[in-house]
Amino acid sequence: MSTTFNPTTTIKDRAHISLNDEFLRNAVKYTTEKLRTSKKLASDELGNWEEWRERARQIRLHTIAHLDYYLSEFVKNARAAGVHVHFATTAQEAVHITMRIAEAKGAKSVVKSKSMVSEELHINHRLEEIGVEAIETDLGEYIIQLAGETPSHIIIPAIHKNKQQVAELFSEEAGEVLPPETPILAGFARAKLREKFLEADIGMTGCNFAIAETGSMVLFSNEGNARMVSTVPKTQITYMGMERIIPSLDDLEVMATMLPRSATGQKLTVYMSAITGPRRQEDSDGPEEMHIIILDNGRSSQLGDPEFQEVLNCIRCGACLNACPVYRHVGGHTYGWVYSGPIGAVLTPRLNQDMEKWGEVSYASSLCGACHEACPVKIPLHDMLVYIRRQKVEEGYTPASERMAFKGFKYIMSSHRRFKRIVNLGKTGQKIIARDGAITSKIGPLKGWTEHRYAPALADESFRDTWDNLSAELHVNGNKMAPDVLKRLQEAKRRREEKHHE
Amino acid sequence: MKVSIFITCLSDAIYPQVGEAMSRILACQGVKLHFPEVQTCCGQPAFNSGYWDEARTSARTLLEAFDDSDFIVSPSGSCTGMIHHYYPSLFKDDPVMLTKAREFSGKIYEFSQFLVNVLGVTDIGAHFPHKVTYHPSCHGTRLLGIKEEPRQLLANVKGIEFVELPFAEDCCGFGGTFAVKMSEISGAMVEEKVQHVIETEAEVLVGMDMGCLMNIGGRLRYEGKQVRVMHLAELLHEGVKQKV
Amino acid sequence: MSKRGEEIIRELDEQAAEKEEQFFTHIANRLNRPRIIKTPAHPFRGAPDFWLAYELSEEERIGLFMANWTSMGGHTQRFPDLSSLSTYIEDMAQTMKAKYMIRFDHPLLNKMKMEQKLPDIEMTVWNKHAEEELLVKAAGADIGIAVVEYAIAHTGTVVAVSGAEQGRSVSLLPTVFIAILQAHDVKTKMGEVMKDLTRRFGNQLPAGVHFISGPSRSADIENDLTIGVHGPGIVHALILDESSP
Repeated sequence: MSTTFNPTTTIKDRAHISLNDEFLRNAVKYTTEKLRTSKKLASDELGNWEEWRERARQIRLHTIAHLDYYLSEFVKNARAAGVHVHFATTAQEAVHITMRIAEAKGAKSVVKSKSMVSEELHINHRLEEIGVEAIETDLGEYIIQLAGETPSHIIIPAIHKNKQQVAELFSEEAGEVLPPETPILAGFARAKLREKFLEADIGMTGCNFAIAETGSMVLFSNEGNARMVSTVPKTQITYMGMERIIPSLDDLEVMATMLPRSATGQKLTVYMSAITGPRRQEDSDGPEEMHIIILDNGRSSQLGDPEFQEVLNCIRCGACLNACPVYRHVGGHTYGWVYSGPIGAVLTPRLNQDMEKWGEVSYASSLCGACHEACPVKIPLHDMLVYIRRQKVEEGYTPASERMAFKGFKYIMSSHRRFKRIVNLGKTGQKIIARDGAITSKIGPLKGWTEHRYAPALADESFRDTWDNLSAELHVNGNKMAPDVLKRLQEAKRRREEKHHE
Repeated sequence: MKVSIFITCLSDAIYPQVGEAMSRILACQGVKLHFPEVQTCCGQPAFNSGYWDEARTSARTLLEAFDDSDFIVSPSGSCTGMIHHYYPSLFKDDPVMLTKAREFSGKIYEFSQFLVNVLGVTDIGAHFPHKVTYHPSCHGTRLLGIKEEPRQLLANVKGIEFVELPFAEDCCGFGGTFAVKMSEISGAMVEEKVQHVIETEAEVLVGMDMGCLMNIGGRLRYEGKQVRVMHLAELLHEGVKQKV
Repeated sequence: MSKRGEEIIRELDEQAAEKEEQFFTHIANRLNRPRIIKTPAHPFRGAPDFWLAYELSEEERIGLFMANWTSMGGHTQRFPDLSSLSTYIEDMAQTMKAKYMIRFDHPLLNKMKMEQKLPDIEMTVWNKHAEEELLVKAAGADIGIAVVEYAIAHTGTVVAVSGAEQGRSVSLLPTVFIAILQAHDVKTKMGEVMKDLTRRFGNQLPAGVHFISGPSRSADIENDLTIGVHGPGIVHALILDESSP
């Protein structure tokens, strides 16, 4: 499919690199903790968080279930406001359309505000190939662009860069030595990017939400670069994932309540802009021409699939990254593609529709469910990760040794007698390696485990071996349930059945 | 009214003392217990790795074992969560088994959940004069919504000095096959979890899942740390014994 | 745009028109149902009921707005009448030694006659009669002054709407941004603004509706909070209690 980022490394290799990067790990921990705490404070302050979540989820479910309708309404209304709307089934098509617009405009330079969708297209490289300068204007994106890297967090793309590194990158760009002081570095970026905004031919943005009823596209930003990009250049191109739709302005209130709070703990980002078409005839600023490119790129494959349709509800807040204990240790680049963290572990194999190459990203999770708990629209990401693993197995992309191991599992666990026999065999077998109830050897099949912790030994007598004696001892005073216990059990069973019938 | 124990393969083979402690506590409360021996494993290791066919084979032993039970109690939030949350999807293509799976998923309880929410017991009269910290396992809290039950039981233990575990709700890095498959990431996670346990200066780490406790305990021993790792049932049972 | 350029855009529009229905039909097919053409019932529209019932008194609204705006690093003050408000801005401009200012062409601002009181300052008034490139003027301005349509107490937000006399650049490009708002335009929550926008404009919104909550900020360098990254770093919300003429 779309990606040109073929990983030449496995997720294990990439994790290994991240785990050995002390600064990265500390920076990611610090930032995600901060965002997580802010989110908690903001949701507590708001109150009724669960009711809000449920409402946001319902709006997203409803919209996706009627996506063709709302999308066509949006297109109709955006066109009425003067927008050129384009449709791209693949990333290549979106790139092609972009190139044609750039050609039509004779563009020499493009300024971009943060857009994860545009990362799917690798549009910057493609533009540079035809001699169009593409500048990222979000401070974090600008940093990683100068470093020649990709974002490692949806919200804080340069989470992995320290001040010294930023100073070096900016100094090179400035042609003079800049000290590693945030105000000076930010001041340099402001001045430098100001020039770029004013000279750019095209402004490119993503789209946080698109409103069907009004044909507006909505952008959230704190720095103001999304406003610059959509105000200053003569032409605007907006990339929009086809699922970014919400029905109405009323629904935007709910999304605006959830997105900033979940992302950074803000009540609202500094700027929320609803842009409806190019500038009106009597207006003196804003783009004269506006293009919206609606991108599928694997999204429609999630539709109609009961296990994955809900992933399209995502509002790209990054809360699942901040909650994820795996992301906390390995950061974003470990995931290998555009999106990272739990949402990335689902989107990467699903949007690319490639289990062979990308299925393994789903293993970067202990399935703890923190992502689901953090998600403002309640996407069951932890369940989806299991479904992806199953898909990988079904398509035959798991190693033969693993398949054998689970054949063994099946054989043993299909009968309690076999299970018992194998446990007994194990008890005999472990005698040479177990000491004081623990196995410490770093070789053999337990290697992955014992490299980081001891393994326990099998007990001398299993529970099932002891049950007869234990049971006889426990129920020595008769074989009956205590009367008050019986009453409570009956009561609990009644409640359970009532609940079941509701 | 039939109450049965689902011991879980891990407690059965490695931590039988947990099953014993749980059984003794429940029997003390007047519950008559059964142990249907055809049970093996809930199938979670295979299920989570994507091997659903293999998982189903093992899950069927449980459906058979507990078919005629009214309540099933297990010392693991994770295995209980597997049954409660995933059995209906695991058998979604088999209408007969699906009905059984749905029924089963409604009548299985994790130990503290059963004690507090079904029996209505929050104080079993235990006495445990030690400094204790608690790791709430992910599946118990998130798949089953067990948040207050273990804390209530611990709060009523006499003499206990309870100390909160920093970042308690963060996964310990066990995740079943994750610990082996992504061993380096899992290793980093359990290393941090152990640091947090050590920071509390607790003598005892208590939890409700032997998978997590095997992981954290294994790391504590690997680092030569003396913290005792106990299942909630073990702690309560020892607390009752000590009192006597 | 060149002739060739226009041709390319026309071609793209034609391709889009051709592709459109296929794109929507594909979605409907994936969803295993026919295309939906009629507006579906949307039972979950907008905020939950308990939120719709949330309503503060005008004094509470203004108090909450000011607290929220201040907490984000904005400045805010109330004025009993236009002349005190005008004096405040003049003092600010003089203290700052502002040289260039830009403002909406709004009756309230016209009434203030600031230009007369600040003869040393070059004031640009945003309207379609302006000869110079307004955007460039805004970029060079020390202070931009807008009359905003609404404020939202719950989030500490002002809402500026674009138009012939109301450039979007005024709230974006100058170093300092002053938002003037009338006390009765402060709403409790965002939903009221949405409702009023719909009431006023129907489905044809102005090209730019900008919700602004404090000074431009970033935490992209090592989490250090930086103010004034691209937008104004100093923002004032000045509340006029007196009703507009």
